[in-house]
Amino acid sequence: MKTISMKLAAVAFLALAASPAFAGKGGSAGQIKAAIQSGSVDAITAEIERTESLTCSECVQLVTNLLEDNRYSVREVAAWWFAKRPALKDMVATTMLDDLQSGSTIKVRNAADFLGRTMTYTSLPALRATMHRDNLGTDAKLALVRAVSYIGNLGGNEVLTTAMADSDASVRAAAATAWRDILGQTSATPVAGLLTDSDAGVRAAAATVVGGMGHVAAAAQLEVMVVGDADPVARRNAAWALGKLGQQSSRVALAKASTDKSGLVRMVARASLASLK
Amino acid sequence: MKTYMKTIAIGTALLTAAGAGCGGDEDTGPLGNVDSLIVLQRPKRNDMGDIFQYTSYKPKTESGVNARLIKLEPPTADGKQTVICCDQAGAEFANVDISGYDIDFDAKRIVFSGKLSGSTNYGLFILTLADGSVEQVPTDPARDYVSPIFLPGDKIMFTTNSIVEAGARQHRDEYERGTTLQLGRISTDGTGEELGARNLSHRTFPTLMSDGRVMFTQWDHLGGMNAGHLMFVNQDMTNLREGFGKEGTGASNSVLKATEISAGRFVAIATARNRTIQAGALIDVKLGIKKTDGDTVTAAERQSEANATYTDLTPDVPHGNEPSADTVGRYYDAFPLNAKDKPDLVVSWANGPVESSVLGAAGLEADFGVYLLDTKNNQRHPLLDNPEMWDIFPRPLQERAVPGISGSSIDPALNGQTMIGSMDVYQSSLKTFTPSSIYGVRVMEGFSSEEGFPEMFGTTMFEGQANLGVARVQADGSWLATVPSNVPLHVQAVDVFGMSMFSEPVWVSGRKNEARVCGGCHEARDKATIIDPGQTDAFAVGPTPMYGLTPRAQRKSMDFSRDKIMGVAWDKTVQKVFDNNNCLSCHDHNNAAGMQPYTITDPVTGTSVAWTFNLENTPLPAAFAEIGGEAAFTSSYFSIAGPDMEAIEKGGLVVSTCTAANCTSLSYASPEDSRGSKIIKALNPKRQFPTQTNERAFTTTPHQNNNITADEFYQLILNIDMGLNFYARENGPGLNNY
Repeated sequence: MKTISMKLAAVAFLALAASPAFAGKGGSAGQIKAAIQSGSVDAITAEIERTESLTCSECVQLVTNLLEDNRYSVREVAAWWFAKRPALKDMVATTMLDDLQSGSTIKVRNAADFLGRTMTYTSLPALRATMHRDNLGTDAKLALVRAVSYIGNLGGNEVLTTAMADSDASVRAAAATAWRDILGQTSATPVAGLLTDSDAGVRAAAATVVGGMGHVAAAAQLEVMVVGDADPVARRNAAWALGKLGQQSSRVALAKASTDKSGLVRMVARASLASLK
Repeated sequence: MKTYMKTIAIGTALLTAAGAGCGGDEDTGPLGNVDSLIVLQRPKRNDMGDIFQYTSYKPKTESGVNARLIKLEPPTADGKQTVICCDQAGAEFANVDISGYDIDFDAKRIVFSGKLSGSTNYGLFILTLADGSVEQVPTDPARDYVSPIFLPGDKIMFTTNSIVEAGARQHRDEYERGTTLQLGRISTDGTGEELGARNLSHRTFPTLMSDGRVMFTQWDHLGGMNAGHLMFVNQDMTNLREGFGKEGTGASNSVLKATEISAGRFVAIATARNRTIQAGALIDVKLGIKKTDGDTVTAAERQSEANATYTDLTPDVPHGNEPSADTVGRYYDAFPLNAKDKPDLVVSWANGPVESSVLGAAGLEADFGVYLLDTKNNQRHPLLDNPEMWDIFPRPLQERAVPGISGSSIDPALNGQTMIGSMDVYQSSLKTFTPSSIYGVRVMEGFSSEEGFPEMFGTTMFEGQANLGVARVQADGSWLATVPSNVPLHVQAVDVFGMSMFSEPVWVSGRKNEARVCGGCHEARDKATIIDPGQTDAFAVGPTPMYGLTPRAQRKSMDFSRDKIMGVAWDKTVQKVFDNNNCLSCHDHNNAAGMQPYTITDPVTGTSVAWTFNLENTPLPAAFAEIGGEAAFTSSYFSIAGPDMEAIEKGGLVVSTCTAANCTSLSYASPEDSRGSKIIKALNPKRQFPTQTNERAFTTTPHQNNNITADEFYQLILNIDMGLNFYARENGPGLNNY
């Protein structure tokens, strides 16, 4: 539980308690409490959304607690609630930055999710530094990737390149996917190296990125992949990527892939074949 | 407008199926000519409260049953259920979830949206019914593609979060927080994927009409507008037009899953946007004038929103997001079996409180089953209900007529731009203009936080906007402009002082090389708009260029003169007006003007805060955290724009102002209404068009006989008319390096 109640007390205006049972869009602290007690993500989400614009001091601590829920959906909607209250958000962000620096894996996960979802750009240096911590678990790393992906600023690239070299395949795949969605990203070179990753999910994600970003230099590796990868999703993504790259050199590989045993691959390969320059 | 059917208690709704269509014999009821129904079965869930939720993934029930398509043959309660997809399709489909589907015109293929695993996205697949084979349609593997429908000419339309504009991020919905869905289409052989122009929020549930147009639900959010309306486009996603729900015709906050009953008539779900599990009441909408021919009722003639009416087919079912009562429940979707005045429908319905919060708190999920609904007698006959599944989208497996192909003329000479305009801007069903009062039409583009902004652009709940320019209205009322394609656009009629006279209350957009020329300014929609090149003065003059080929990242300007200004970043423009014109000598924190404060009080605790007019570029005090918005917002912004009124209103706070002349007002500007804004009236702006002069807009004496320049006035006016935001691209925090 965050210990920010003292800071929040300084926000004198938040002493304005929400007395009506159905204030805001029908929401109230009591209903949030009941939803939390039910344990239902859907009930919690609905009640948090209902208090979107509600001035409600009782809600603050309740929603703050939800920032440490084990379920991402709950943390996400709680962060959104704070994002609608920017000054409060900035206060919570301060404590989250502390957690990035020295918190446990779970603390870092929660902090990264908060900072990312609230588009706290100023946290990017801290997110970068945290990615280099050597004692972080997968949950924290995935959250760091998720945060920079949501923020979408080039300042998050270092987080992603670090994650691409992580020992956990899910982190590498997430980083590859996020790379393409950073505003102003111009080169897929860091992702191309993952086309030969040992994990099929990583290879599939990398294929999509190099295809989507038009990284022609990856065509040869994709041609190998589209006919030889053991994983049908990776072959499918390679076929799609080759279509995006449109290189004549891919014709043979795509022709072969158009008779692939998997229904995931055949039409994708045929369509890519038709799109070659 | 609204003609309720008589309310009849449906009872438990678990009436026997006797007489409800036993299959094979056309005398046995409305399903008599239907050999079989296709039904989508999805494991029950509760994470689809919002009508635009499309990423829910739950492939199996607790007992391990997959999401699947089944055939019910004959379509009776004791009919045989056969799984047609995707047990046979291979190991790749072992964990597939299916969100929607459509049957081809010849009833030989089904296109469905499926997600193979938690780490993949929803893609499109074609099932060939003859052999059960399934092939994936090539779509971007990192994006979701849902709600597919077949189009004539071997094409498939879908909605997707894939992005039509290279280098841009897809718009994010500010409330339900999803990446927005837009329209697209692709050939059934997987070639030729095209993505439509973007709305600022979601577009969902496309449906093909017999006249060849596509109807879909569009979320309209522009300032105070927050509703899901039905819109039309041609099959090539051009010629966007209103369908139903605006101009006071709406049955509810949102109308979705429209399905045509007959020409100009359709059944749809009327509901609220959130917590309703995408379910609600059934309404029978007639877009045009009702015409009866035997048992068939149509409404094809004079279709327009203004002429539209609707009948509530299930009057007990809530149109809002309150929990539905026992035996009343909510409808997930409906398919018409005939076009009688009171049509027979095959529907998906769930009993009880179909509301995600209530269900979630109780640890329950809605249990949608398939029923035959006799709307004349309000009788619901059960056909199929797997208690572990949502049994949804029941559709007869039978051939259907292929509509014609609808498309619009595309002009390659536009070189990738979109051309917009009006034949006569004075023709409007929403506003009466004084002849010759409109100088031009201002065009603005919209964007959301995905471009690098916090959740709120200001306290007024408007999206980010950039001014693209003003196209002069010609003598015959016509105007034209070339603008960027595929982006949400907003238009305003402006006077010679640059002030908005009327804001079109929606975002519109056009595809590359599309010419979108309307009859007027939200003109009567049942009037044909036939453009004859050369017919209008604007065609003769040529369109006003408005950055049609300028990349998004470059559509900003630090030259704030009238013809160059794009975004109006508060701290970089409006603040400078105050700073440059000695406003702070009276209106800083020392309050030399002697303004009296207003107070905001919580009636429960008695706590209050006071605010006095202050035009300094200083951060807001912490006490205003909740109602003042972003920490970056300044005293001057808060003074002019005022607090977050929704927070005040919804929080039950009490605002106390005095009435003397020196009392601080809660705000000094009204979004999109510079002419009606106190600050503009007081300062009395100078003429802008066609050339800037010292002529004033009002006969009153300008406050302090100010000599604010015409450019500065335009900055103030434009900021207000573009929603009174603090942020613009020119001061977007996400565009910095960190």
